[in-house]
Amino acid sequence: MSENKTQQAPLLSVQHLRQYFGPTKAVDDISFDIYRGEVFGLVGESGCGKSTTGRSIIRLYDITGGSVYFDGTRIAAGWQNYKADVKKAKADAKAEVAAIHAEYQEKEAKAKDNPAQLEMLKIEKKEKLDAVSEKLNALVAEKTKEIKSAKHDHKYGNKDFTRHEVEKVRAKYEPLLEKERSDEEKAKLTKQYKEEVRLAKHDRIMNKIQMIFQDPIASLDPRMTVHDIIAEGLIIRGIRDKKFINEEVYRVLKLVGLVPEHATRYPHEFSGGQRQRIGIARAIVLNPDLIIADEPVSALDVSIQAQVINLLNDLRHQMNLTLLFIAHDLSVVKYFSDRIAVMYYGHIVELATSDELFAHPCHPYTKSLLSAIPLPDPRYEKKRKRIVYRPLIDHDYSKEGPTFREVAPGHFVSCNSEEFDRYEKEIAGK
Amino acid sequence: MAKKILQVKNLQVAFRTQGGILKAVRNVTFDLNKGETLAIVGESGSGKSVTSKAIIGILAGNSIVEGGEILYDGNDLLKIDEEHFHKIRGNKISMIFQDPLSSLNPIMRVGKQLTEAMILNGKAKQRDARNEFNTMLKLMNQAMNEAMPESIEENDEACKIFNSFCMEATHLEKAYDDAQAAAVELQEEVGDTSFLLSKKQKVDIVMSLRKFLKLFPKTLHPYVVIDDEKYQSQFNKIRELSKLPKKRINPEEVIRVLNNVDLSLQEAIAKPAPNWFRLGYYLYRNPDFDYTKEKVTDLDEMTLKYLDDNFMNRFFELGINAIVYSHNKSIKGKKEHTLAEVEKLRSYIESQDHFEKKDIYSRVKTVAAEVRAAVDPIHLRKHSIEFSLGVSLKHEFARYFTGLKKNPKNQRKYDRKKARWDAQVARGKNPTWQVVPPYIIDLDLCKRNALQIIDSLLERYEKDFRHDRTVFDPKREMRETVDFFKEQASTLTYHVTKGIAKARAIKLLEEVGIPEPRMRYRQYPFEFSGGMRQRVVIAIALSANPEILICDEPTTALDVTIQAQILELINKIKQERNLSIIFITHNLGVVANMADRIAVMYAGKIVEYGTADDIFYDPRHPYTWALLSSMPDLDTKEKLEAIPGTPPNMIYPPVGDAFADRNKYAMQIDYEQQPPFFKVSDTHYAATWLLHPNAPKIPTPKTITDRIARMREKEKEEGQKPVYFEPPEKPSEPKEEEKATLEQSPAKKTALSKKPSAKKNMKNKGGKDQ
Repeated sequence: MSENKTQQAPLLSVQHLRQYFGPTKAVDDISFDIYRGEVFGLVGESGCGKSTTGRSIIRLYDITGGSVYFDGTRIAAGWQNYKADVKKAKADAKAEVAAIHAEYQEKEAKAKDNPAQLEMLKIEKKEKLDAVSEKLNALVAEKTKEIKSAKHDHKYGNKDFTRHEVEKVRAKYEPLLEKERSDEEKAKLTKQYKEEVRLAKHDRIMNKIQMIFQDPIASLDPRMTVHDIIAEGLIIRGIRDKKFINEEVYRVLKLVGLVPEHATRYPHEFSGGQRQRIGIARAIVLNPDLIIADEPVSALDVSIQAQVINLLNDLRHQMNLTLLFIAHDLSVVKYFSDRIAVMYYGHIVELATSDELFAHPCHPYTKSLLSAIPLPDPRYEKKRKRIVYRPLIDHDYSKEGPTFREVAPGHFVSCNSEEFDRYEKEIAGK
Repeated sequence: MAKKILQVKNLQVAFRTQGGILKAVRNVTFDLNKGETLAIVGESGSGKSVTSKAIIGILAGNSIVEGGEILYDGNDLLKIDEEHFHKIRGNKISMIFQDPLSSLNPIMRVGKQLTEAMILNGKAKQRDARNEFNTMLKLMNQAMNEAMPESIEENDEACKIFNSFCMEATHLEKAYDDAQAAAVELQEEVGDTSFLLSKKQKVDIVMSLRKFLKLFPKTLHPYVVIDDEKYQSQFNKIRELSKLPKKRINPEEVIRVLNNVDLSLQEAIAKPAPNWFRLGYYLYRNPDFDYTKEKVTDLDEMTLKYLDDNFMNRFFELGINAIVYSHNKSIKGKKEHTLAEVEKLRSYIESQDHFEKKDIYSRVKTVAAEVRAAVDPIHLRKHSIEFSLGVSLKHEFARYFTGLKKNPKNQRKYDRKKARWDAQVARGKNPTWQVVPPYIIDLDLCKRNALQIIDSLLERYEKDFRHDRTVFDPKREMRETVDFFKEQASTLTYHVTKGIAKARAIKLLEEVGIPEPRMRYRQYPFEFSGGMRQRVVIAIALSANPEILICDEPTTALDVTIQAQILELINKIKQERNLSIIFITHNLGVVANMADRIAVMYAGKIVEYGTADDIFYDPRHPYTWALLSSMPDLDTKEKLEAIPGTPPNMIYPPVGDAFADRNKYAMQIDYEQQPPFFKVSDTHYAATWLLHPNAPKIPTPKTITDRIARMREKEKEEGQKPVYFEPPEKPSEPKEEEKATLEQSPAKKTALSKKPSAKKNMKNKGGKDQ
């Protein structure tokens, strides 16, 4: 990873992402950045919302609130929380108005006999009411604007990107076409131009993000050959050249360690590790920038796991990939990731580089998670004591709630100020 | 030395599939000791699950058990029939499966699934006990009569009295047990209701109060609840409460009353009971005696004396005579004769190439009868040798004759199909159908199996007699027999009502760490999270109090924290109940904490086994190395050493070492011969040619030595003395015969040199195997 990472713009930026399913807050206000070329690990127990985060980023769900920026473009946005804000502001204003009315009713009753004072009170009351409604209107206007922009970005983000791409092609070809040329050359150029415009029209920003799923059996269509499975993305992308498609399919098959002969077979003819390789081939055939790997090795045997992890590692260097690696096996995450975020019930509780996280875990949940890792060392294992995380006992959030703070450079923990001081001392002391 | 509870010997299992006969398990041998955890580790398809399924008798329909035996409690589990297996599966050997959701019934409440087996088992146990009691008494009577023909009348009389007063005692005990059960049930219900009330749940108070009143008279037994005024008054209060209109009942008052009832019930249940067996005799003689007035200790003393003086001393004399007679009868000169007979059968089977159905069956029958005559029926009341010999041999020969009859037919069928297929291929077509291999029963194998049965029987049989001759104590024998009678008689009253089952189930749920078990008892499986579901499955597996628990990847579907919890739970229960566990997994990391011993399986064979320390700190087989180094730990930085390729296709099992194709240390001999087990230490064996003295010395891979060094350092840091293994000096010498063959053939000796090009075309090969 580069040293000046902070200056570099993030490839993927998730800001205040919320994903609610009815009353269940699967993901509740999480923010993180992923920089180009790094592997970002997301760990947590099952049901903590790590898979939901991945799926929300790739827009398998419409998110409830927050935004996801990819390469500077907002690709997903939610507005439910703005709506909730407006609703709350309106209710607050209503209560305020009622309070003002009550206050002045009393005062007016007292100053019943004094018309001048009564008049003054009326003016005062009106001023106060105006201030409240003005505040409310400003807020509503602001939120409405945000809702509008979020809705627009969420709905038309892809189209904007496509339009942009098409314009780029036009800008490239129009000066070329205006030059004096022979008819033949011109016809050729026009054809090329039309083809590229068509391709640009099929391009989507979401093509740059691809996903690898956990279960290699369930994620491959049993009625399609490997060739069909891998080529599907290219066809949707608008490519019609059969020869080119074949070449690409064979290229990625070789990349993932299979041979071109495998292209004509069906998924059931492969072993688990090979199926996962097909899933990876399908994900990389469109040359994505970011791959979301949702527990890609959890369903595999240990020996096959190592093959798949090595493959992902090689591909990452060859194709300059960025990975969001979701897993619950901490040894694998530690081995594979540059930075790790620990999730607990929809919140990120700790985020740090992988060495830092394992050397100085701060949050009690992280500690409990690390203490549960089984190691191939019987004598150590016999002594290992698992730390149990009890959120109600380990934290005292009655006075001050937790916020996300930086306890050491690049090391963030969700804590309140009292805990913050303690964690800082802990890290300095080590 | 620990007691061997389960022995698997040379187990061979194959499957008939479309592609051919798939050899899933090839010659697996291991023992399981009492109270230990044996981990079986290997990739998917290595045969570890098949082995465990063979033990618990749930192999798929297309499986063929080609040979071997699984010995549990003197029986070969591969040979006993389904009826007998019912008594073992679930009761003695239980299993936890990988996916908790698929092993629970989604439309039944968890509580019902837990109690189902308990209630069913209760009834079956009663029936069995009655049978056992009667058979045994009959045997005793017979032996007595034969031993003392002059006093037949007295013998019969004694047996009759014994039977009658045992039944009398049983009735007394049953009455007591019923009252006790009612008390337990009542306590359970009372606890349940007061819990629900205190949680402000919806409860029909009047209904439950009436239910208590219904149960109340059942608990009134002199030794459960002596007419205690306090207890009576508590119930009078409940009666009053139940007569009130619903709205006027104050829940808090009800809770208070119920808590008092709960306390007095607790006292009552803890009350000591008299010895029913003795009391039974006393009452049989003096039916008018009112035993409720006496103290328990006085009563016990009095009845003991009465019983001894009046009946038991004489009965003991008779019984000892009978036992001595039966023992002498079985020993007298018959041992040599019977052994000779069995040997004769053995040599006959060995010499013969073909068997005549009638002939062989009659021979088996006579030998079985011979053995039965030579076995002391009183001593060996359960699982007699005669039974296992007769049934097993007959089973094996039945298979032989089926093979004899059907093999040619199957072969012809296969040939016809194959010819058609070949013809189609010759015409350039690509047939869409496949030729299924014929179901051929290996007749030689049947013969070998039969010989094996006799061999193992001879072994056990001789031991039995040696044991008898040196330590034969008729008095102790008689005591044991009477104890056996008592046990059966009290099992007759073994009786599980729904209430008792519920109380037990809730206790079990508590034991496996499920919070609020009363609430959880009423829920459906889908209302549980993954970890909780697995706990329920464990509770169900434990409900029949098994001796052996087989865990088939119990944590693979769970995440790290839950996995740690479940493993801790299994460890805890193992220690509490002294369970023996077979733990199956593909992840070596998981078993470091669990396993006492580890067997690493590959391609249907055990390639290395030893204690956990042996395997983790001194692995010897290249496959174990590969497994260990392909797994990242928290300090791994370098590239992972994945095992290239895939496991071999077991339809065509490799001639030599199955791992040779994926092994970078493979030698020429690995492709030609299967390696035997080389001894590394007393507990540690590995099947690899690398341990042969003539093999080149290959050091343990750096990844693993580095890791062990790191572990050692870590332990030093923690201020403990490093007690790691001392590297053993030398692998032990191979067996004499092997040495001889190696010396005789110089070709093989040179073949032991390393083959450098073994890894060529690895990747393609792995893929094509599919």
